Amino acid sequence: MDEETYQKYKKLARGSWGKEFSLLKMMFNGFLGLMREEEDMEFELPMETILNILLNIGKARKQGRKIIMYPFNYGPELFVTMGLQPLMQEIFSVGLAPFHMNEPYLDFSNEIGYGDNPTLCNASRPLVGAYMQGAAPVPDYLFFLSTPCNSLAMNYQVFESLSNVPTYNMDVPYWAIEEDSEFYDGKVVEYMTNQCKDFVTWLEDQTKEKFEIEKFQQTMLRLNQARENIRDFNETLKNVPCPAGSQTGFWNWFFMSTIGGTQEAVDVTKFVRDSAIENVKEGVGGIEDEKLRIAWPYTHVFFDRDLFPWLEETYGAIAILDILGNYQVEPHNTSTLEKCYDSLARGTLDYSMIGSCRGPAEYYIEYVINYVKDYKVDCVIYPMQYACKHAFAMARITSEAVREATGIPSLIFGCDPYDSREVPHEAIQAKIAEFIEQVVL
Amino acid sequence: MSVLKEFEEATPLKNPWIDSWKEEGKKILGYFCSYIPDEIIHAAGILPVRMRATGCTDTPMGDAYLTPTACSYTRCCLEMANRRQYNFLDGAISCNSCDQIRRLDDNIRIKAPFPYQYFIGVPGNINDLTIDWFKHELNKFKTSLEENYSVEITDDKLRSSIKTYNESRALLKELYMLRKNPKPPISGTDIMNVLLTDVSIPREQFNELLRKLLKELDGKEGESNHKSRLMIVGSQLDDPEYVKIIEDLGGLIVVDSFCLGTRTFWDQVDETKDPLDALAKHYMTRVSCPRMSGKQSERVDFVAELVKEFDVDGVIFQRMKFCALWWAEIFIIRKKLKELGVPFLDLEREYVLSGAGAMKTRVQGFMEILEAK
Repeated sequence: MDEETYQKYKKLARGSWGKEFSLLKMMFNGFLGLMREEEDMEFELPMETILNILLNIGKARKQGRKIIMYPFNYGPELFVTMGLQPLMQEIFSVGLAPFHMNEPYLDFSNEIGYGDNPTLCNASRPLVGAYMQGAAPVPDYLFFLSTPCNSLAMNYQVFESLSNVPTYNMDVPYWAIEEDSEFYDGKVVEYMTNQCKDFVTWLEDQTKEKFEIEKFQQTMLRLNQARENIRDFNETLKNVPCPAGSQTGFWNWFFMSTIGGTQEAVDVTKFVRDSAIENVKEGVGGIEDEKLRIAWPYTHVFFDRDLFPWLEETYGAIAILDILGNYQVEPHNTSTLEKCYDSLARGTLDYSMIGSCRGPAEYYIEYVINYVKDYKVDCVIYPMQYACKHAFAMARITSEAVREATGIPSLIFGCDPYDSREVPHEAIQAKIAEFIEQVVL
Repeated sequence: MSVLKEFEEATPLKNPWIDSWKEEGKKILGYFCSYIPDEIIHAAGILPVRMRATGCTDTPMGDAYLTPTACSYTRCCLEMANRRQYNFLDGAISCNSCDQIRRLDDNIRIKAPFPYQYFIGVPGNINDLTIDWFKHELNKFKTSLEENYSVEITDDKLRSSIKTYNESRALLKELYMLRKNPKPPISGTDIMNVLLTDVSIPREQFNELLRKLLKELDGKEGESNHKSRLMIVGSQLDDPEYVKIIEDLGGLIVVDSFCLGTRTFWDQVDETKDPLDALAKHYMTRVSCPRMSGKQSERVDFVAELVKEFDVDGVIFQRMKFCALWWAEIFIIRKKLKELGVPFLDLEREYVLSGAGAMKTRVQGFMEILEAK
């Protein structure tokens, strides 16, 4: 990042953000410091977008905007339409992990008897610890879904119970929306659409604001433009060499989950897509000398900033897309209000991690097999979160199915992406090194 | 033979009632959760039996496929399925009770399938839309049973099953009311045997046994040498020995809120409505388990009301290791009990009763706290 931009954001972040946003400010400063070290000017726009997202959340209270907190597997398009400030809760656990700042809140959660790592997922458990220490923002509204996991639903319920924040939760059905699936149920989309409408009514009641249809349609139009950009970007990753680095796709998920439906999301996803297209044209890879392509069908190990650079430098290995970055919501027809709702419902059902994990294991198995085939990968690495029961319990059957369908080997290991003390960087590196050197190469 | 002895005989995984049923050439389906309306299975002329893993000793396959951080109940079930120890069952019905149960269903289907397996998607919260959706799920389930077993499940059959099950609910509640007595005529261990029988033998025969039991207990002087009156709260518990350990130490279990207990029979199914509407409404709105979002305060209130109603001195949370739902839930119930001044003990456990010595020590300590109050 150039010095002028750095100084601009340093100035913007000055002053108190209030106690409830002190963690956000720390995260902002942490990212700003990392970005200052980044010499690749090509990614100035994504970097500035990330900083603006954090700044906007921090400024919302002062500007009198109502804040709605929601989980990582949902897009904020309805909130954008209603003029609410979206606050994806996991921005904290994910954003604080590289700076090892989740640990004090996890320790506090342990001390007060609120779960442990193999039982409750640390993507949202620090929220309870931070809230009880007055270090978490108290939103005006809370929203969550029944999937992908019990941990998420329980952490949000506990937060609701402690904070008394008005809360809406939405059920996500089990069954498939693809007519050719053996798990197809023709009523799923209608069920989701009705719930989306019910949620809109709830938001209107709570905010005393009218839901403006025209605004909604404009938001959905922008959302679809961003979806198109991501679809095209994902398509470029099928090229050898892969035209983007191991972490690029992840940011697409981040943008869709924090500013989806805004012009900023359209611009930044377009920028990321165009850079990849340009690289493909020029035959340039996301890393210098690509030798190995890895499927990474789970989240990043968020605390470990050095993992992907180490993989890239040591083995010429690129992780194509993580499960969140592998955003698979297709653009939809949004020409009428009903079609907008239909698109909203389908987007919820297909959202990152929801689409592959909300139903039978076959959804996930099919997702990984397609990933392996489409992106021409050499191996699969599942860095499973111990507490992620639904995903961890699919890893073994999936790895067997992948081996049978494609012959590609897998590595499964447990860790805690949010807490470096559970399985440290060195132990993760050793497992991966052993796998690559003894099985893959 | 005392009727209590008959209940005890029904508690093994396979019991004489199941043997007789099989000898008659009739079908048996295992089911995994109290959110699965066994009335529908009953209306198909099939015996519904709650899935247990009694007798499980080790879980190498469960550890490998579900991972060692899955709860031991699911690991044991996968193990038993893989070792063909459920061969007396003609199939299994599962639902998304929790992440571990839904992945257990997947792993069984892929690694050790039953001849017939069905999955019901139970919504994660309660409102008119989700109740309608659950009715849709139940309708699909009914159709699947009809097609697979060539039976017709008419509305009349469903109504009749609901009536029979409602009778069980009423009789069980009547039995529980006897426990309000300062000298309850039945122990928690015996109640555990009754609850296991409830999910292990034909419904009509269960009702008959219950009626006999109530007659036998009528006017009976109960036990008075207990040190305190306890309530058990938590998830799946199907081991009478667990309760016996607590009662041997002087704590009499007088009421509960767990999967096989009050939550399943406290409320009746409406017999005047369309049967599938009534079943969907009942199962979605009865006292919920933590898998149902948005009803946490109602569940906490339910526990608090039972504590008061049954004059409970202390609450024991039996929490299966690695259960996300119940750890989070207990965190909130505990807060409420603290406010009410009700002592509680959080006992983490494995499905298979192990570490009985450590459990005894903790319960003993708890009993001393209660005595000192």
